[in-house]
Amino acid sequence: MAVAAIVRRDLLRFVRSPLRTVLMFAIPLVMAAIFSLVFGGDGADAISIRVLVWDEDGSLLSALLQGGADDPRVDQRLDLVPVGAEGYQMMEEGEASALVHIPAGFTEAFLKGQPATLEVVKNPAQRFLPQVVEEGVSVGAVALSQLSRVFRPELEQIHSMLSGDGLPGDLAIGAMAVAVNQKLRRLERSLFPPAVKLETVTLKPAGDAVAADVGILSYFLPGLAIMGILFLAQAATRDVLLERESGLLRHLLTAPVTVGQYLVGKCLSVFLATAAGFAILVLLGLVAGVTWGPPLAAAALVLASSLAAAGTLLLIMSLVGSQRQGDALTTIVIIVWSLLGGAFIPISQIPRFLHPICRATLTYWATDGFTTLILGGGGLTDIVPNLVVLTACGALFLLLGALFLRRRILAGGT
Amino acid sequence: MITVQHLRRCFGTLVAVDDVSFEVREGEIFGLLGPNGAGKTTTINMICGVLRPDGGRVLVDGGDIWLDPVGVKRKLGVVPQEIALYEDLTARDNLEFWGSLYGLVGAELRSRVDEVLSRVGLSERARDRVKGFSGGMKRRLNLCMGLLHRPRLLLLDEPTVGIDPQARLNILEVIREVAAAGTTVLYTTHYMDEAEQLCQRIAIIDHGKILTLGSLEELTRLAGEGEVVRLSGSFDANRASDCLSRIDGITVHAVSDGRAVLSVAAGGRGLTAVLPDLLGAELGLDDVSIQPPSLQSVFIRLTGRELRD
Repeated sequence: MAVAAIVRRDLLRFVRSPLRTVLMFAIPLVMAAIFSLVFGGDGADAISIRVLVWDEDGSLLSALLQGGADDPRVDQRLDLVPVGAEGYQMMEEGEASALVHIPAGFTEAFLKGQPATLEVVKNPAQRFLPQVVEEGVSVGAVALSQLSRVFRPELEQIHSMLSGDGLPGDLAIGAMAVAVNQKLRRLERSLFPPAVKLETVTLKPAGDAVAADVGILSYFLPGLAIMGILFLAQAATRDVLLERESGLLRHLLTAPVTVGQYLVGKCLSVFLATAAGFAILVLLGLVAGVTWGPPLAAAALVLASSLAAAGTLLLIMSLVGSQRQGDALTTIVIIVWSLLGGAFIPISQIPRFLHPICRATLTYWATDGFTTLILGGGGLTDIVPNLVVLTACGALFLLLGALFLRRRILAGGT
Repeated sequence: MITVQHLRRCFGTLVAVDDVSFEVREGEIFGLLGPNGAGKTTTINMICGVLRPDGGRVLVDGGDIWLDPVGVKRKLGVVPQEIALYEDLTARDNLEFWGSLYGLVGAELRSRVDEVLSRVGLSERARDRVKGFSGGMKRRLNLCMGLLHRPRLLLLDEPTVGIDPQARLNILEVIREVAAAGTTVLYTTHYMDEAEQLCQRIAIIDHGKILTLGSLEELTRLAGEGEVVRLSGSFDANRASDCLSRIDGITVHAVSDGRAVLSVAAGGRGLTAVLPDLLGAELGLDDVSIQPPSLQSVFIRLTGRELRD
């Protein structure tokens, strides 16, 4: 009866303080959403590079150069803005990543085989995007240079045709086409097939596991949810210290409640609050499209992770002297465990020498379990080691925490 | 109803309660009066089973709280000195939780909650969170926690500390009603007027020891039924001691520079005979105040100090 009353009261306090509880859920959800946006853009909302083009040449070649940007793959990323001399002023005001200046006589010089110059003005306030523009224009310049070398006689012929009076005759154009065609045929053997071919391969998971088709949120939310429930368990176990410091525990023990009943009630309420919080995060994740894996396995992992979080936090709180000490110590543990346990970054990205330390954190076992279920397509049998470690450690820590608290309370430390 | 025998408790080298013994009879309001740090709360904590004594024992209705904690605690209602409420819960939530610890459920629990809230004038605020309550309202709700399960013995540890006079009157009135209904009350306070108005018997405690115990009449008789006289002026302590020692019929309790406390012995010359001697002692008096026999005079007589709020 007393145990049930204590559990009911503690859970009621979470319900009566919705803001605190909502914040606990909001932290992992918002972080997961931000991570997904940063690392998982599908191209539609990708960054676009704004480039000013000052075309003083106004010729067919300069139009062709700009037309290269009409490729749909490039067009999504490139925002070309035709400008005049005011383009320099716009660059001064940081309105674009770069300005490409095609000077007057550029085509003329190109056809005559004289040095032709393209000018790229970069925005100093940006680091990456102007570099992309510069590289792109460099590739174009190299291509034009090679074209100029290979087709030099034909280009000079074109120049003399264009610079003559009136339009060139059909015969001259036909002869030019034949000459270009013959040169291309000779070059064909050198150009095709390409000596280096690029082939993109997406690796499949090892063994029989099938890679699940999951959204980007599924990569981040489980780890961050585990961090979230650690904070939830921190709030729930903090109550033990609050009750000790405020005299609430002393008063409670004047009622027909034994220290054992109080501690059982407290352990249960911390575990239930944490598990309920995790369950809500799972549901919110499902709504957002997160695939948690087989329901039974995911539920078992949620319960085991909640037990581990509750046990860990209760044990720490039972060892400290005050609420302030408890808050400081548990926050450090939660952040370090989240970093090392893969809540923020995959374990594979952490230096190998740290891996044994990572495996010593319960966050690792929880995150690894969800990774197996979500990304590895695993089932209940695949996460048995994770469940055993989380449950055993959680139960042991909960028991130790309760015993330490009991000793303190009976010694008059209420 | 309560038998306290040779109770002792130390915190390190500090002896907080030293060989305290007393009995509280069924149906009476028993006061434990003493200044802050006298050992009142430590004594209460040992009686209600929160603190284990280093020595001695406590029997509540014949039962030892350390042998049958749950059974004995069911008979007790405890109102602690600190506000023991969950501020993020409503008044009703707090009381329903507390009642459920004593096995109250359903309609009975709800009706008891309504009853105690009405008794302390908080019915209108039943569904409000305690966080928004004034100090006086919290104190009244704190009192409700001790009354909810209708205990046979109510332990109140300074329940009126830091509240406004109106809330204080309400609390004292409720305690009188509860006692009139047959509940035994053990009431600790450092307010002498409360002890005088409320308690049938009073034990005065200081530095962890019971100095004296009895009804108000017995205690004032102990004080010699004489008036307490306070002097203030521009005198120094040595000169005042010297002058006052030459006056017959008075007992000097405390002398310091500019201040002296003395009492006029009962059956002696009487105040009217003593006053001219005091005024003629050329002490450079600024003020003379006379207090009729009271717990204050008893405390002064026993400790040589005043019991201050």
